[in-house]
Amino acid sequence: MMARKVMLLGEIGVGKSSLARRLVFDKFDFDYKPTIGVDVYRYEVPDSPERPRMSLILWDTDGNFGDAIFKHIYTKEAAAALIIGDMSRPPSLDTMIKLGRGFADAFPGRHIGYIVNKSDLSPDPDAVPLPTQLTQPGTSLIRTSAKTGTHVAKAFIDAAGSIARRNP
Amino acid sequence: MSQKHSSMPPARSPAATLDIAAPAAVKLLEAGMLLAEFGSFGVIWMQRDLSVDDTFGRLTQFVTKGAPVTDSILPIIGLENEILALAADPHRVLELPAVSVATGSDRTGKLNFTFMWDDARDGPIAIAYKSTSQTEIEVELSKQIRARLMAEAEVTAKSKELARANTDLESFAAIISHDLKAPLRHMRQLTETAFENTAAASDGTMRDILRDIEGQSRRMSHMLTALLDYSTIGRKYEAVENVDTRALIATVKASLPETGHVISVTGHWPELSTLRAPLDLVLRNLVGNALQHHDQPAGQVTAHCEELPLHLAFTVSDDGPGIDPHHHASIFLPFRTLQPDTETASTGMGLAAVKKTVEGAGGTIDVVSDPTTRRGTAFTFNWPKVLLL
Repeated sequence: MMARKVMLLGEIGVGKSSLARRLVFDKFDFDYKPTIGVDVYRYEVPDSPERPRMSLILWDTDGNFGDAIFKHIYTKEAAAALIIGDMSRPPSLDTMIKLGRGFADAFPGRHIGYIVNKSDLSPDPDAVPLPTQLTQPGTSLIRTSAKTGTHVAKAFIDAAGSIARRNP
Repeated sequence: MSQKHSSMPPARSPAATLDIAAPAAVKLLEAGMLLAEFGSFGVIWMQRDLSVDDTFGRLTQFVTKGAPVTDSILPIIGLENEILALAADPHRVLELPAVSVATGSDRTGKLNFTFMWDDARDGPIAIAYKSTSQTEIEVELSKQIRARLMAEAEVTAKSKELARANTDLESFAAIISHDLKAPLRHMRQLTETAFENTAAASDGTMRDILRDIEGQSRRMSHMLTALLDYSTIGRKYEAVENVDTRALIATVKASLPETGHVISVTGHWPELSTLRAPLDLVLRNLVGNALQHHDQPAGQVTAHCEELPLHLAFTVSDDGPGIDPHHHASIFLPFRTLQPDTETASTGMGLAAVKKTVEGAGGTIDVVSDPTTRRGTAFTFNWPKVLLL
C-alpha cells in the first residue's frame, strides 16, 4: 500500500494535534497540551475510483518550529503539507501563508492544503473573512472543526487525492 | 544527518570489544540492563531489508519482531534510504529526536532514536532512549516553553489580582449602597416628622426647606439602589438560552411608557443562544434613554440590528438633541447625567450599567453624535454570538 508522509504545520494552539486525534481516534481532548517535538500518526484512506488505498503518515509538529521546520530532518520526503490556522486568531492565518510559501520553496510541486480550524466558534464560518491569499482560485482551502469533526476527514481525503495525482 | 568520529562508541559489535570479565565492564552491563529494565533505553536490530531481527529493553516492547520496522516506528517511513546509506560509513549516525508514535490509541511518549550500522550483523541498529532535555533542540524548546509558562503565570497572577480588586470594589459598592440606606431612611423619617410638626401658616420657608431635604434624600436613595444594581451586573445572570431578538425588542418596545415618539425596528433580528437578561437590560436602557432625553414631544427612535459573522451589531438612534463629543467618554461613567438633577428622575447609572453589561458579555459599545452638525445620537454595540463565560 502506498504510504505518504504529510506534515501538519501551523502556529501553536491552532489545533494540529486535535485534528490528527479526531481523524485517527475520533476523539477530542478539551485539555490543551502543546506538542513538543513530533507526534506521528497513521491514517488509512480507503481506495476510490480516482486513486488506490493510501496510508497517510501524519507528522504533527510543534508549532514552535516556525520556518525552521523546513531545514529539519523531520520534513525529509514529505509528500504534502497541511497548514492549519485558527479561524478566531487572524495572526495564525497570516502565519499559514508564510508556512505555505516556505513549504512550496522547500518542496516544489508537492500538495499544500490550507485548513482553517475551529469553525465551531462561528455560527457562519463561511462568512468569516480570510486573507485573500488563502481564497485565491486553485488554493486548496477547507474549514474544519476538530471539536465537532466537521470536514476533518474530507481535508485529509482531499489531500490523499492530490498526492496520488502528483505521485502516481 | 550528523557525523560521529572516533570518540563515538562504534555500533559494530560492542561485545567483540568489551572484556566482559573486567569488573568495570560488568558494572557497565549491569547499568545497561537496569536502564533497559526500567524502560529508559532499548535497542532494535534490523536486517538489511529493515525487518526487525531482535529487540532489547522494555522501551522497545511496541516493536514487532519479524515485521518491517516501519510498521512499528512510523517516523522511519520516507527515511529508509537514509538508513541504508549508513552502511557506506559506519561513523555516521542518523538521529531522530523527540518523536512519539501512536500504538493503537496509546502513545510511546517522546523518544529519541539514533540509527547506525552494525558491521558485525551487516544491518542497521537503532538505539531508542527516553527523550530528556539533553538534545540541542529540546534545550531550546524547554527554554521557550519555560518562558511561555512564566508569561502565562504572570498573566494568571495579574488576572487574579485584577479579579480580587474587582471583587473588593463590587463588595465595597454593595456594602456602602446597602448600609447607607438605613441612616438615609432615618433622616427622611426625621424630616417628615419635622415637616408635620411645623405649622403651615407660621413657617412656609421652613416647610419648603424640609420638602427639599426630603426630595434630595429620596434621590440619594434611588442612586444607592442603582449603585447596588450596578455592582451586581455580571453576577446574577442565568444560563444561556435561545433568544429571539426580534421578540425581545418587541417586548422592550411594548413595556416602555407611551410617548409621542415613534419607535421603529429595522434590520435583521435573528435567534441567538445568549443571556437574555443582560441583552434585555442593554436594549431597554438605550431605547428608554432615547425617549427620556428627547427634547421634543414627538420624534423618532430606531432600533436596528445587523448580523455579522462573529457578532450582532445593534444600533439605537434617535433624532433628539444629541450629545456633545466632549461628553462621549464621561456619559458611560457612573452617576453622570448631562441634565440638571431636578429635570429628570435619572440616577446617571443607565449608560454605565449598559457599558459594563456589554463589555461583560465580551462586546463593545460606541456613541456617534455631534449636535454642531446635526441632531440625533446613535449608540452601537456589538454583542458576540459566542459568549466567553
